[in-house]
Amino acid sequence: MAQSRALGTRRVWLPAAFFGAFALVLLGRLFQLQVIEHSQYAEAARQELLGSDTVFARRGSILDRNGAVLAASVDTWDIYVNSRAWKDDSIAESASAALGRALKVTAPELRNMVRQSKSVDVLIRRDVDYETGNQILRDGIAGIVALPNTARVNPEGDTGASVLGLVGQDNTGLAGIEAAYNDLLQGKGGRAVFERDTTGEPIPFGQHVAEAPVPGHDLVLTIDRYLQQMAEQRLAAAVTEHKAKGGAIIVLDPSTGEVLALATQPGLKYSTLDLSDQKSIALLRNRAVTDLYEPGSVMKVVTTAAAIDQGAVTPDTTYVDQGVVYLYDTAIRNWDFNVYGTQTMTGVLQNSINTGAVFMVEKLGATIFQRYLDAFGFGRPSGIDLTGEAAGIIRRPSDKGWSPVDLATQSFGQSISVTPMQMISAIATAINGGKVVRPHLVRAIVSADGRREDVKPEVLGQAIKPETSATMRQMLYAVVNPGRFHPGKPRDYSAGGKSGTANVPIPNGYDDHQVASFVGFAPADNPKILVLIKLDENADLMTGTQAAAPVFARMADDILHYMNVRPDAAKYAAAAP
Amino acid sequence: MQDPGARLMAAIHLPLPRWHRRALRIPAPSLRLNRWILAAIAVVALSAMLPVLQNSAATSRGFQLQTFEAEKTKLNGQIRLLEADVAQLSSLPRVQRRASELGLEPGFDPIYVTVGEAGPVPAKIPAEYLPGPARKTDVPEPWWRSLLSWVALPD
Repeated sequence: MAQSRALGTRRVWLPAAFFGAFALVLLGRLFQLQVIEHSQYAEAARQELLGSDTVFARRGSILDRNGAVLAASVDTWDIYVNSRAWKDDSIAESASAALGRALKVTAPELRNMVRQSKSVDVLIRRDVDYETGNQILRDGIAGIVALPNTARVNPEGDTGASVLGLVGQDNTGLAGIEAAYNDLLQGKGGRAVFERDTTGEPIPFGQHVAEAPVPGHDLVLTIDRYLQQMAEQRLAAAVTEHKAKGGAIIVLDPSTGEVLALATQPGLKYSTLDLSDQKSIALLRNRAVTDLYEPGSVMKVVTTAAAIDQGAVTPDTTYVDQGVVYLYDTAIRNWDFNVYGTQTMTGVLQNSINTGAVFMVEKLGATIFQRYLDAFGFGRPSGIDLTGEAAGIIRRPSDKGWSPVDLATQSFGQSISVTPMQMISAIATAINGGKVVRPHLVRAIVSADGRREDVKPEVLGQAIKPETSATMRQMLYAVVNPGRFHPGKPRDYSAGGKSGTANVPIPNGYDDHQVASFVGFAPADNPKILVLIKLDENADLMTGTQAAAPVFARMADDILHYMNVRPDAAKYAAAAP
Repeated sequence: MQDPGARLMAAIHLPLPRWHRRALRIPAPSLRLNRWILAAIAVVALSAMLPVLQNSAATSRGFQLQTFEAEKTKLNGQIRLLEADVAQLSSLPRVQRRASELGLEPGFDPIYVTVGEAGPVPAKIPAEYLPGPARKTDVPEPWWRSLLSWVALPD
């Protein structure tokens, strides 16, 4: 029997058209999702599937010049409690008891912390000891979240804290070497990318593209921990003895610019630091490079060096001191109001005669003297590798209100502000052959694979001739060896030096407070150390020679014995002209 | 009257009629299996099993690897702790405190004596830790060493 074909009625075509159109829409949507927007959805799916973790890089250690560790990083845990997990009282009680035992905190105290916090994950303690954290994780205490972290440890305690500086909670250096070399110390964090299962855990052998962390470099400092400790102890003792407000001691190798010790007071102390106290923030700066003072008579070393180098005077040039010099109705007198009569230039340094310094600077003239000040590095940062270094202030002839009185007072260290680091660098230049060397604190940089890159001494220029420098050493030796007792003379070593006592400037004048200082070097013919001692506002009003020079004498003996330098005091005295 | 159960059993034991006793012509599958076919089946089965086994092994290794990585991280952390401990133990304040506990006091200033002889070259490592002098051995070289001279080895 022949079958008749169904007629194309609406009853057939309408549903067919509807389903056909629906199929077309579906196909179109599929095409859009699978072909046109493929890459976008594939990426979204990959993101959903993939998890990533930051892998912390080890922060480099800081070592002293002999390899002793001054700062290192250790792994720690930050312990959080998920407050939702402690909603149930019985769970909270047992978990807080277990956590309390590990952290040595009472359980009610922990429960209170969690209850009072508004956040879900409550920080219980930061930087928990690594082993304690591991134990907490092993115990599987309910609601505990432990996040890995690192903490900085300083095995030498507070020694060198003002040089080393501080690391913040985000492991970024905030002060000192930690801040100045943060990029090198910090390294570069890595990244682990993994496929994760429905619980978020990594799938073994899932895609694992890991960017390995690059550990930070280790820094070998020029600081010697023994000398640093000595400098800090001697400074503390001197500040107490002379009832000073603070001070600084810097020990420098004058030929290389290596800082062997740098102590400041007040200064950073890890043991008493409280960053919640605003006053503590001020301790983060290293006053030896950030704070200015008027150096007083120590500046006569620079004036004399400039005058001799320029050929304006010789050590034996004489002049007659009348105790006062008048400049534009301003009387400039000697510090002790004494009249010394006929004096050589060596005598000017020995007796610290202000009028003698004015005599030399008048022979030089303002332009040449300013040129020497620039050559010695005044008025610009010394370039030491610490942050926040001040440039100092010099009044120049081009400045408004400048007068020849400024030039005269600059010759003996007033109307000029310097940092202790600038001053010691200038004296280093005067005695090391005339080279301006950049003071520095880092001796070598050691990468994680053990490659060591030594930091070479950097000579920034030549301020005076080597012969002038040799003459200056002789003249400064004569200051400490005037043929009578001098408190700055070491017992076992030949030495030279110059003291300074200057009033503290205030707007439109000076107040009664003073800064007493002494800069000395030893041995005299081949200086191994240059030491600056500065006491701020010593209440006993002793001069630099009386208060600071004895500290130098004792330190020079002790440091050179420690450095195994053969004593030469007797030999040098016999050979000295 | 006979028990119905007994009657049923008797009926079961009755021989079938003759036409029923002919061989059934139901086509039965041949059980003669060719060894090649067997081998092919085994290969296919093994092939199917292989990814499963591989996945299983890979997963186990993955877990092992994760465990080892966690262990490595932990050991690294402990190494850093130990390094910090060593630094702490050799720190100046600690050495000075320990020396003082032992009754030691700061020494006097050194006395320098001039002598005619040159001093010893300071060794960085104490002598007891330095390798001793090379021992002379009477054992003859093995015969095969002479063959090495025939072989062109890279420098």
